[in-house]
Amino acid sequence: MIAISMIIGTIIIFVLMKKLNARFSTPLLFPVVTATILIIILLKSFSISYDTYMIGAKWIDAMLGPAVVSMAYPLYTQRNIIKQNLFSILTSVVVAMLSGLISIIVFAKLLNLSNDYILSLLPKSITTPVAMQISGAIGGFPSLTAVFVIIAGLTGALLGPFIFKICRIEKSVSRGISMGSASHGFGVSKLTEYGERALSMGSVSMTLSAIIGAFICPLFALFFQ
Amino acid sequence: MIEMKKYIRIVLQICILYLFSLLGSFIVQILHIKFPGSIVGLLLLLGCLHLKVIPVQLIKEGAGFLLGLLALFFVPSTVGVMNYPELLSINGVLLISSVIVSTVLTVIITGRICQYLEGRKTREEEVQ
Repeated sequence: MIAISMIIGTIIIFVLMKKLNARFSTPLLFPVVTATILIIILLKSFSISYDTYMIGAKWIDAMLGPAVVSMAYPLYTQRNIIKQNLFSILTSVVVAMLSGLISIIVFAKLLNLSNDYILSLLPKSITTPVAMQISGAIGGFPSLTAVFVIIAGLTGALLGPFIFKICRIEKSVSRGISMGSASHGFGVSKLTEYGERALSMGSVSMTLSAIIGAFICPLFALFFQ
Repeated sequence: MIEMKKYIRIVLQICILYLFSLLGSFIVQILHIKFPGSIVGLLLLLGCLHLKVIPVQLIKEGAGFLLGLLALFFVPSTVGVMNYPELLSINGVLLISSVIVSTVLTVIITGRICQYLEGRKTREEEVQ
């Protein structure tokens, strides 16, 4: 009974938040963000623990694996775009992964963070479902990673347009790739304003970044285990 | 009736995708490697699509359905942040700020390098 109400409750709240987002389109109202906050408030006010919530919600969580596998489909259909720009996409995605990893490790060391926090931070530029799986595999806390990933996403979606202007990043390909590989889905959703090409480059580099990150993050993780 | 058939097809296709995900996790488990199983599943599916072992039609609708709901699937995990109230402390704010700064740096560095690579490519094309 609890399980079913948690599943249905999560879905209803998510759908409502999606409608809210459609009405006032701003990155701050991303349905994941608003739904998460609302669910936490509800659980806290009825003193329901996270473990109790997960009795039901784990069934929604179980769909993450097949959803990640599904990303093979857009990657396959966009294989021609990838082939045409193979060198610049791959180089940029690797550069993005390395600059994200190195900069966050430097900050984490300055803040004197413990290793489990650092491990949770490493996959932050990768799309949430994959980032959480990487985090779990290397010994981080997947829920914390999900929050860092969302913050990285919001940063790109909110600040991206200013960064493009100030740093004169004007080509649609560069905009797409930098957004997709630094701010995953949130950043990519902002790319609709810059046209079809930026958008498809963004989603391609988001997926490639997830695959490349799955190989690189565990290597960096070796230093903190 | 047509609607009904479509939904059954989507469910069956999701089962296929689920099998790939399970297979990926299984491979990671028996090899004892620190690697996300779902990415192994993704690479396997990509290989099968590429080699035409699996036609795109067999997973197209299921994949589209799951990807459309992707954000819903990670809500349960993000709710897990309620177990980490320390994020609201000063240290938490510093931590979050470093994620923001790191992301801004990443966008700038990647954008500039990519623009440089693209510029070089167009110049090469002009020369040719």
